[in-house]
Parts: sequence; structure tokens; C-alpha cells
Amino acid sequence: MTTPAIVVNDLSKRYGNSHGVLALDHVNLSIAGGTVFGLMGPNGAGKTTLIKVLTGISDITSGTASVAGFDVQKQSLQVRARIGWVAAEVILEDDFTTWENLWLQARLQDIKGWEERAEQLLQYFGLLDRKDDKVSHYSTGMRKKLEIALALLHQPTVIFMDEPTIGLDVATRRMLWDIVTGIHKEFGVTVLLTTHYIEEADALCDRIAIIDRGRIVAEGTPSELKARVKSDVVSLETSEALDPSVLSKIPGVQEVRAQGNDWLIQVVASEEFLPRLFATVRTDQIRRISVEKPSLETVFLQLTGHRIAEEEPMHDIRKFYAQMRRARS
Amino acid sequence: MKSQLWGLYVREVLRVFRNPFVVLVTLVQPFMWLAFFGSSFNNLAAASGKFGSGSYFAFLLPGTLSTSMLSVGMFGSMSAIQDKRFGFMKRILITPTSKQTIFLSKALGAATRGLIQVPVMIVAALVFGVSFPLSPIEWVGWIAALFLLAFGFSSLFLAVTAPATDWQTPGVVANFITMPLMFASAALFPSSSFPPWMQAISNVNPITFSAELGRSFLLGTTVDWWNLGYLAAFASLMLVVGYSISARWLKVE
Repeated sequence: MTTPAIVVNDLSKRYGNSHGVLALDHVNLSIAGGTVFGLMGPNGAGKTTLIKVLTGISDITSGTASVAGFDVQKQSLQVRARIGWVAAEVILEDDFTTWENLWLQARLQDIKGWEERAEQLLQYFGLLDRKDDKVSHYSTGMRKKLEIALALLHQPTVIFMDEPTIGLDVATRRMLWDIVTGIHKEFGVTVLLTTHYIEEADALCDRIAIIDRGRIVAEGTPSELKARVKSDVVSLETSEALDPSVLSKIPGVQEVRAQGNDWLIQVVASEEFLPRLFATVRTDQIRRISVEKPSLETVFLQLTGHRIAEEEPMHDIRKFYAQMRRARS
Repeated sequence: MKSQLWGLYVREVLRVFRNPFVVLVTLVQPFMWLAFFGSSFNNLAAASGKFGSGSYFAFLLPGTLSTSMLSVGMFGSMSAIQDKRFGFMKRILITPTSKQTIFLSKALGAATRGLIQVPVMIVAALVFGVSFPLSPIEWVGWIAALFLLAFGFSSLFLAVTAPATDWQTPGVVANFITMPLMFASAALFPSSSFPPWMQAISNVNPITFSAELGRSFLLGTTVDWWNLGYLAAFASLMLVVGYSISARWLKVE
């Protein structure tokens, strides 16, 4: 058994006074050293708050947490000397060159003889020939690479990555995935990343904790989590109100959830369910139908009753356009 | 702490030189004070006979330099707001750097940026015919006074900025403090012609102490070295206030 790099015990965090938002609600976690661990959940689930607490930026309301064997509250300086941080938005000193950014980071970490390590990192990330360039001239991908190099400069035990690929194009996101896997293997660091992209958590993480409304609702390897869900999810949009019992009486249906005319139906096997559905409901009553096989998305849906992407504005925009199209036709 | 302080201090100072526009404004602004404000009052000042010597420029220079230290302090706190908004404060604090170190680096950085204006102003004053009959010790005293003033005001403004979570309040507060401090001082006019209530403010205003010390060097009147002591006390007090507030209440974003 590997020693845990991060241990969180019954941790709660409430912002403001006793009526403030409870961002973390009795969270327990143990993250093994040398692994890539993902915190997956929608926006506002508490992912960033947990990172803030673990990096010493935010204080704790109750409970304890330790990183690299040090208590995050009582031994904050020791913790901060052993962690690296990669922000969701790239934060660099834009007026400085690559090398000057590394120099500043070395100063902040109070490390000597950093130059050799810095050159190795620049070599690794393919930035060595750009080391005297101002970072304001860099592309987004290069800026991300430099930020990760800064986080690795002092040979940290744990690296925190808060939504590392948010707002990136597909190619840069893929590149970043390779980097995360790469640095984990090459430098032996434990990576704790937060994401609300299911495929990202699936592709990168050894283990995942699903977090929703400040609580950890499930934890395990991606395959363990997916194995929890045996059923398919059928999403249905109807043109008129239906009686839920009509749907729940169809053989093989496990659960029916409705939000207006949007239905989420959990079924044993969609292949058997669909013909039965069409036999029960008139086709003109069905506006849209889609089937999802077990995935981390359906795991999340079944555990929390809502989708990860629900809070994303894009979803609303798509819905808005769909409504516009319907109104026109 | 030494390593982090040096890193952050160098960052504060280097940032000024990396931005050509900031360099230009830093250099031109004090010159404009002399050119516009000085020129507009020069004849009136000579006619009134209340300004010590014939040249209003010689009277104005130590005052303008002192008020520059006030605005430089304000810019120091703006840099703290910027760091909060762009997340750099977080980047700094997720390293073994203390909040007090951030405060000190910003206050020292702002004071240094203030001093960069001094040689430019002196050159500008030479253009307007001001002579500098200062002994080396008086030069040191003058620069020290300006440094203490800039450091004191930077600390004061940073004390206001550190606990703020929004970026508007500190700016509004700074503006609110700046105007009365500038005019209720002997920086631009002799305080002897002020109404009593304004004289009362001017008599404790650090800007007055710095302006009058510089003026005594420049105009050859009696030098009161206690002015430097007053400025040292002001800077020390503000250091303690800013340091304690930052240590306890510096907000990350």
C-alpha cells in the first residue's frame, strides 16, 4: 500500500457566517502517492474550494486535512513548499521572459541551484529555445506548458491542477492530457486534478471522486465506477405531458425522472426497452430520444439525479436554439 | 523571507521598466507639473512675494516631488489589486511566501518607483532655471525624506487594499485620501495663507514636512532636520499598521 499523499478527514468548509454557503460537507478522502486523482463534478460542486483548502489559501471550518504528511492548517509553510499549483486560467508574469518567470518562481520557493532543473524542464516541454522570449508572445499551449514547468520547478510531492483544460481547444486539450500523464510518469508526482469533463477524468485518472453539492458521492477507479451502473439511460422529450406511470409500467424500466416534458428513464437494456416504448407511446408524442450506455456521465446522473453539464450555460444555449427551431417549424 | 522579498521586489520594479508607456508617463508627468502648474503661477508668485525666492519653480519642486510620492503610493496598492484580479496573489501564496513579505515587497517597490522620478524632476527643474546649492549630506537627507514619505503612503494605501475583496473600494478610498492630503499641505502653496482649519491639517501632514525640508535645502533657509525624524516616525507607524493588517487580513482574491 502506497503512503497517502493527501488525507482529508471529515472536512467541512462554510463561507461567511453560520448561514453562509456550505461548500464542503464532511468530505473524506485518501489519495495514494504517485497517482493521478480526479475530482469530478459540476461547476459549484466544491472542487475548487477543496483545492483552496488543501493549498492553504482557504481555512477550514471543521475537520482536518494533510498534504505530503503535513497538516494544511498548522504546517501550511511545509505544505506550500511541497506542492505545485496549475491554475484554471494561466497566471504568468507577462512582462517577464520564460527564464525570468522561472527565476521568480525559484525565489518564491526559496530554492538554490534551480537552473539545471529549469533547463531540464524547458527541454522536456520544448521551450528551451524560447527561454529568453517574453511570455506575452506565447501561444495558450506554450503558456500552459510553462505554468506546469513552474509548478514542477521545486520538485513538489503533489501538483494541484484546477480545471486544467477549461477553455482550451481540442488539440491543446489533448496535448495537456499527454503532459499530465507524462509528468506523472517522468517526475513521479501525485496529481490532483479537478474537472467537469467526463472524458478527461476517464482518460487521465487512476481514481476518481465524484463530488456534488460539497459531498463526495462516490469514489473508485473509472472502471469500478462504471461497473456500478448496469443500466442504460434513455432521455426523452415529449411533445405533450405524459403520465409517468405509463412509462414506469413498461417492463425493464428501473426509474423514471421527469422535468416538464423532459424524461430520464433508467432501463435494464435499451435495446429491449425502445420497441416497448414505441408500442406504448405514439411516435408523434416523441420529439427527441437518445440512449446512453453506462459511462461516468450516467454514473453521475444516477448518483446525483442531475447531469454534470447541467449548470453549463452552453446547455441552455443549445436548448434555446432548439426551442427557436421548434417555434419556427 | 529574504529570497521571496527580493524576487517580489525585483518584480515590482522591473515591471515598470518593461512597459514603455508606464516609463513614459512616469517621466513626463512630473515634468508636466512643473511646466503647466509652475509656469501658470510663476509670475503671480513673484508678484505676491510670499514664496521665498523669486522663482516659483524652486518653491514648487520639493512640493511636487512630495505629492508624487503620494500618487506613487496609490499605484503600489493598485498593483496589489491587479495581482488579486489576475490570480497572481494566489500564485504567490501557494509557495512558502508570507503575506507580510508581499506587503513589504509592494511598499518597497512603490517607494523605489517613486524615487525613479527624482532625477527626472531635477533635470526638468534645471531646464526651468532652478539651481541646486545642496551639500552631499543634504542630498542624502532629501532623498531619504522622499523615500520615507513614499514608503509611508504606500504602506497606508496597501493597508486599505490588503483586506479588500473588490477592486473599486480601494481606488475610491485612495482618491478620497489623496485630494485633501495634497492641498492641505505646504506642497503647492505656503500654508501661512491657509484658513486655520486647513493649517491644522497641514501642520501634521507628512507632505508638508517633506516639502519644507526640501525647500529649505533648495532655497537656503534654515534646515530643520526634525522634519526627517517626523517622516521616519510616519513611515515606521505606517509600516507597523500595513504589516499587521496584511499579516491578518490580506485577501487572496
